[in-house]
Amino acid sequence: MKRRIIGLLGLALSASLIASACGSDSSSSSDTAASTDTLAIPGTDSSTPTAGGTIHILSQLEQITHLDPQRNYTGSDLAFVGSTMQRALTSYAYAPGSAGSQLVGDLATDTGTPTEGGKVWSFTLRGGATYEDGSEVTCADIAYGTSRVFATDIIVDGPTYAISYLDIPQDADGNSNYPGPYTATADQQALFDKAVSCSEDGKTITFTLSRIVADFNYTVTLLAFSPVPKAKDTGEKYDMAPVSSGPYKIESYEPGKSLVLVRNENWSKASDPIRNAYADSFVYEFALDPAVIDERLMADAGDDQYAVGDGGLQPENLQTVFTDDRFKDRRQDDYDPYVSFTAFNVKTVSCVEVRRAVYLGLDREALRTAGGGPYTGDFADGFVKPALADDYAPSKLPEGLNTDGTPNIESAKAALAEAKTKCPDVYAKATVEGLKFFHPDTPIWQKLVSIWIESLKAVGIVIKPTAVEPSKYYPTVQNEETDYDISRGAWGPDWPNASTMIPELFLTTGGFNLTRNGDDPAYKQFETDTKAALNELDRKAQGKKWQALNQFLVDQLWSIPGTFTKAQDLWGSKVGNAYRWSSSGSFLFGELYVKQ
Amino acid sequence: MSAKVGTPLFYSPLSYLRIALITFIARRLLFALVLLAAVSLFTYLLFALLPTDPAALTCGKNCKPELIEANRVRLGYDKPIHEQYFQFVKGIFTGRTYGTGDIAFTCPAPSLGYSFNQHECVSSLIGKTFPVTAFLSLGAFILWMLLGVGTGTLAALHRGKWQDRLTSVITSIGVSLPTFYVGLLVLFSVVIWLQWLPFPHYASPSENLHDFLTAMILPWITLAVLSAASYTRITRNGVLEAMNEDFVRFGVAKGLKNRTVIRKYVLRAALIPIVTIAGLDFAALLGGAIVTESVFSLPGMGRLAIRSVTDSDLPVLVGTTLVAAVFIVMANTIVDIIYGILDPRVRLK
Repeated sequence: MKRRIIGLLGLALSASLIASACGSDSSSSSDTAASTDTLAIPGTDSSTPTAGGTIHILSQLEQITHLDPQRNYTGSDLAFVGSTMQRALTSYAYAPGSAGSQLVGDLATDTGTPTEGGKVWSFTLRGGATYEDGSEVTCADIAYGTSRVFATDIIVDGPTYAISYLDIPQDADGNSNYPGPYTATADQQALFDKAVSCSEDGKTITFTLSRIVADFNYTVTLLAFSPVPKAKDTGEKYDMAPVSSGPYKIESYEPGKSLVLVRNENWSKASDPIRNAYADSFVYEFALDPAVIDERLMADAGDDQYAVGDGGLQPENLQTVFTDDRFKDRRQDDYDPYVSFTAFNVKTVSCVEVRRAVYLGLDREALRTAGGGPYTGDFADGFVKPALADDYAPSKLPEGLNTDGTPNIESAKAALAEAKTKCPDVYAKATVEGLKFFHPDTPIWQKLVSIWIESLKAVGIVIKPTAVEPSKYYPTVQNEETDYDISRGAWGPDWPNASTMIPELFLTTGGFNLTRNGDDPAYKQFETDTKAALNELDRKAQGKKWQALNQFLVDQLWSIPGTFTKAQDLWGSKVGNAYRWSSSGSFLFGELYVKQ
Repeated sequence: MSAKVGTPLFYSPLSYLRIALITFIARRLLFALVLLAAVSLFTYLLFALLPTDPAALTCGKNCKPELIEANRVRLGYDKPIHEQYFQFVKGIFTGRTYGTGDIAFTCPAPSLGYSFNQHECVSSLIGKTFPVTAFLSLGAFILWMLLGVGTGTLAALHRGKWQDRLTSVITSIGVSLPTFYVGLLVLFSVVIWLQWLPFPHYASPSENLHDFLTAMILPWITLAVLSAASYTRITRNGVLEAMNEDFVRFGVAKGLKNRTVIRKYVLRAALIPIVTIAGLDFAALLGGAIVTESVFSLPGMGRLAIRSVTDSDLPVLVGTTLVAAVFIVMANTIVDIIYGILDPRVRLK
């Protein structure tokens, strides 16, 4: 269930960015927005949305990774498929800025009702929702859709929260005793039906979980919990032609060429309070050269006036797009979902003073410049991005940390001097033996690692780099046997709740914990506080807990915050609502409209 | 003693030549078959020796060991390599069924495997993409032959004059430009900046001839311009060489018109090596014009091959490699045979 580790290329570009004060260094772009005034958010303007026209989406991909709702998982695909063809029990508000993180009912009338402290969740269905053939979306379809997640030999690549959370027995190896609907015996099916049940009137679906999951109503925003009509399920092939429950349906789909969506005449706005479905159709153009996409969007001619890209701008075009006023109303430089970081192996670098000395002495600005400059992101002040509005609060960073990313040699040396008396062994390791820094073996990292070595040499810290073949980097550093002292990573939340960030990165049971922090004296307290936050049903109170935990992590420096990474977009001059939706970090495709 | 009716007592020189030719062709075909078998074996061995586990690639990131093993059995990757290869070759002739029971599926002959990445039989994927590559190759080939032979002849006939020098400059530029650069330049200038053509959206000629032509014209020009540069040089040299031959001088001395001498004596002699090279180049192009297809978003076999590399889609990689190799071997064989027909010395060696 853990995912969205940033790609190595993106990691390489953004990885160098380690530092402070979120937003304090965003002067490079006047388009960077954090205002509550939606008109100040790039992609929003005062024009009134109108219905009609065709929106074009230009993509370098060969196809949508997965159209099958249970297999759909990446931010951009979730935003595209969710806003056009597949409805879920809950969703995020279709709104720009931080309002886009607000949870709302979709097929459900509200955001769900927890009982037994969050171990049982019920959702009342709104009713009136129909598929493209006019048949009704039923509670049984939602249960059936969810059951498909368990067929892991056919339904691959999707999120597996259903397997982790639902109260279905597992064998000794942790495999569910329910093999999914295609091969289940009656007894096995009964296990699932007990965990996911529909009320007699078919208006309420209830999920019984194996443990408390306070934000399960966020989990069901994922299309893995979307309805699938059993009679129309074609297993593996469903990916190519899923039945639509949203405002659009597939007219044609040719991977490598195009996907054309047209209006689903059987969708009713009365049953769907979220989607507005302005455009008459969408044409997804695949397999385009990235340079061609940028050039078409910059030229803004013909149908490209109604076009957006789905992969961001190429680095070589950023300077042109962000300095030329021709593009000022149709560009954005904003946060994507990811936070990059440098993780210490807390078993071997067990001294917080040494970790602080590294943080203070590192030339983060030089690293950012080498990685691509301010367009790669802002120096992060923790592990929770401002887009997680309920869970974010500015952190108090270590005293002496330069907010402009330049090293503070004096403060770093002072921290190291403290370490010499408090933890002489780790001090000796850092200054004599050297800290083993594992990094991906890419050209950009060859440059970055030399900045690490040189900038920390001035403090007296020795860095011993080890280059790892890029495709093996994460398996290597996630292997408990690998004896690194420092490694790199980046992570994005699965839904707008720090519950998919902090526990994943720092609990020993987390999916991407590179810190090996289980034996640290502060860990017990962290674990207790994290579990309390996970079990907190009051979202505001939970947010406060995540804020405190984020500060705790900045104080402990098991990892040092890197950057709140950014991405840049350009779109055609006649596209409206081209804002970046905070919950997916991409355009909210279904809400794009053609400006008259 | 009377001879049996119909059986010649002796073979005429013409018959000897015919037998020699048939033997030659049979030998070449046999050699081609052996070569293809070797290529298929070599390609399959490469596939098997790659560090990537094809079974692990079949079930995404939620793969569990037991699922990987089940798929390994289903796809036959649990068998010894020689058995896998035998099944692969057998599948080409008889088709292949994967798995058993309800979840079994079949790739009909000629089966080149199954792509779990694209959920389709490899031969079906190649069948869909090959026509695009074939149309691209054929159009570009005709264009570059016309351009290359035409300008090369022109340059040779005006040796040392401005036409020759201009051709020399243009071909120098042509041979040194990379395909992706010319492709992007042509696309940007004609489609995006000048907007003389809409952005290419490929359609088969039977579906929509207009879309087909607008999608193909720029890739044809790109490939033709770049390849024509080399052919101009080869033709120019060939023509100049032929013009010094005795039979050409004889034709001129006989009082034949210049045009006749050039067409019937010079070009005929100069084109023989060009045909050989052109055959091989055309065959290589049929294997997939990777860069051109990528730049112009053409859903051809080259793009299928490059996608199989980036996705580690090993069955498709093997399939496209094998098909490309088949074209090269076929072209080599055809060229050899044509050479043998044109020049008896070759087949008698």
